[in-house]
Amino acid sequence: MTDLQPVRKEVVVDGAPDEAFELFTAGVGKWWPTATHSLFGEASRAQIEPRVGGRFYEIGPDGDEAVWGSVVAWDPPQRFATTWHVGREPSDAQTVEVSFADAGDGRTRVVLVHSGWTAADADMRSNYDTGWDAVLAKFTAG
Amino acid sequence: MESLRAGPRSVADIAAEFPVSRPAVSKHLRVLKDARLVTDEAVGTRRVYRLDPEGAAALRAYVDSFWDGPLAAFAAAANEHAKAKKGRKR
Repeated sequence: MTDLQPVRKEVVVDGAPDEAFELFTAGVGKWWPTATHSLFGEASRAQIEPRVGGRFYEIGPDGDEAVWGSVVAWDPPQRFATTWHVGREPSDAQTVEVSFADAGDGRTRVVLVHSGWTAADADMRSNYDTGWDAVLAKFTAG
Repeated sequence: MESLRAGPRSVADIAAEFPVSRPAVSKHLRVLKDARLVTDEAVGTRRVYRLDPEGAAALRAYVDSFWDGPLAAFAAAANEHAKAKKGRKR
């Protein structure tokens, strides 16, 4: 029931692909903006377990964990992919794939593709006017 | 939503396509309508549904803008990291 085109985002950063991959995954806790994009707020920390089946999750200040998705592809330093079920059931997960390519001149092109739109997204959108507003407000605030 | 891609259809037409009850289809369509992904209108005695391109675009825009924050933060960290590495080499 996929209906919408994937969202594709691209950014070119300084450094080689392997460094970018390393920072994006092992170093996700250093840069992920938990102040605006997390369930537990600024003191929370994002983490990615570096293997297929690993979790993409956050740890709150009290040790609470919230799983955002699980890794479904792990090909360092070219790409990784994870399911994405923030604010929904894991069975309704979408997919986020991030790839890293040499952009020349010591830089790396990072492409993020968020795909798998289904009817569940309509539920999410209607929920976000009701139950999930507090959670999703944080996500949209960024 | 997939079944509306080809064009507007009634609840009965849609229900005939799926192994679910007509009330279930109606309920699903209401959710889609609340989310502004479909619109409906009365045609004679039937209610006809069609995709709402504006609603679908709004949802997509929401996800698109969601990633702006993390990617900007990542780019800043990566550039900072590369700069620090370069500095160490000098």
